Amino acid sequence: MSRTAIEIGGKRLSLSNLEKELYPSCGFTKANLLEYYGQMSGSILPHLKNRALTLKRYPDGVEQEYFFEKRCPVHHPAWVQTAEVSRGSKQMTVCLANNTATLLWVENLASLELHVPLARAASPETPDAMVFDLDPGEGADILDCGRVALVLRELFSRLRLTGYPKTSGQKGLHVFVPLNRPETTFDDTKQFSKAVAIIMQKNYPDLVTAKMAKEQRRGRVFINWSQNDASKTMVCVYSLRAREKPYVSFPLEWKELELAVKGGNPARLHITHAEALGRIKAAGDLFREVLVKKQKLPHL
Amino acid sequence: MWDGTISFSLVAIPVRLVKAVKPGRITFRTLHRADYSPLARRMFCPEHEQIVPPDEIIRGYELAPGRYLPVTDEELESVSPERSRTIEIIDFIDLDEVDPVYFDHPYYLAPLKGGEKAYRLLAEVMRRTNKAGLAKFVMVEREYLVAVVSMEGALAMITLHYSEEVLPDNGIAPKEAKLEAVEKKRMERSIRNMTAEFDPAKYADLRREKVVDLLNLKMKEQAPVEAPVLEEEEGEGPADLVAALEEIMREVKNKP
Repeated sequence: MSRTAIEIGGKRLSLSNLEKELYPSCGFTKANLLEYYGQMSGSILPHLKNRALTLKRYPDGVEQEYFFEKRCPVHHPAWVQTAEVSRGSKQMTVCLANNTATLLWVENLASLELHVPLARAASPETPDAMVFDLDPGEGADILDCGRVALVLRELFSRLRLTGYPKTSGQKGLHVFVPLNRPETTFDDTKQFSKAVAIIMQKNYPDLVTAKMAKEQRRGRVFINWSQNDASKTMVCVYSLRAREKPYVSFPLEWKELELAVKGGNPARLHITHAEALGRIKAAGDLFREVLVKKQKLPHL
Repeated sequence: MWDGTISFSLVAIPVRLVKAVKPGRITFRTLHRADYSPLARRMFCPEHEQIVPPDEIIRGYELAPGRYLPVTDEELESVSPERSRTIEIIDFIDLDEVDPVYFDHPYYLAPLKGGEKAYRLLAEVMRRTNKAGLAKFVMVEREYLVAVVSMEGALAMITLHYSEEVLPDNGIAPKEAKLEAVEKKRMERSIRNMTAEFDPAKYADLRREKVVDLLNLKMKEQAPVEAPVLEEEEGEGPADLVAALEEIMREVKNKP
């Protein structure tokens, strides 16, 4: 096994198997993976910070078996920050990706995808955003998700709320409504998002369903409001996804989403790792508002 | 249902497979006592204490407790038999030779257009000779060993267990002991006295009958309980919020 030792901010890290192809169809190796997350660290770390990290690990690449790791691996370096969280009746230790060295350490474990809860580990019942997870059923596509997102945007603006869309990196979209208020609970966000989902379904029955059942989802976009829960995680913005190519869960500007929907061009909404890095360099973190913007849910 | 042909040497008889038995068990739905919602089964991961969605579920062959060999659907598919449209009879055997322990599941074979004559011929000859046709047959990705038999002018097919599925019966029969001639005679006489024609209609599933009676009685005595209609529709949310959303929706939709 080939090993390379590096040092980041005084923290020593040994990287292994750098030449291993993790996305074999396009020759994307472990070295490329570390390079991507290394270059992305300035943008992704604020979104991972102090959140219980779930690793989705693909030790032999995207075409092979994967597993979820919620517990922080026991053999973690001493400098990896952790937190104790309770899941049901059990306590468990989770990793906090609070610095570049930790990010690269988890990437060395081939954690292609990074998933985090909507709340920080220290305040697990307080979501700092409400999310609308738009998931296209069979026969629907990302442009249908775009149509739903654009209606949500209209609706939010009339409630004096601002939403921020990102691609899921797979077939769907996630619309985040930042809250960043300590008094908001998951009960609030769940109740609110569910009401929105049901009313969307009532008004756009051919486009939207608020129900999880597969048959309801055919040809429609499922608004998965139930993601607004302390026990759920969402793929982190800027995380890669395990598909045939390294696509990224990437923030979109509303204008760009509008153009893609108008032009009937779904390809613009699938953003590769190279494009992601280029866009970050040019425009910075499009999702930074999600972390700071304070908004109150009305009518609750 | 499955359509295909029974074939052997130069004979090919088009047939359709029809269920021959329907289990008579009365089944019950499980309900939530609180509101009578029908319950659903979900896969639960005790390690993460959460429901596991279908796309996170894979198969593993258990090598030892806690050690598994993951197997994908594609791998299993690669070893599944090809779909086939024939019940190819390999041998004819004496029906009496088949130990009843091998019989699994019966189906009727209904003749399809153009096959009636050959169908009747085969049914008649097998009945007269008390023979059964032994065949291989693929249904829903599994290859079955089946017996094609004659049943009162019709053809039927019974799936058979493979020999490795049948457990050995060694040690069940008691060690040989001397049987007294007198006792044997007495036993034979008792059996002769109780001998009757097999008439399955004479015997009913008593528990089933009692359950049906119970249900009929309850139906007269009490109104059925109703499951909530589309639980998600109920309680859309706080009235203010719902009203505000409805209002906004109207505006959004009426926008030019």
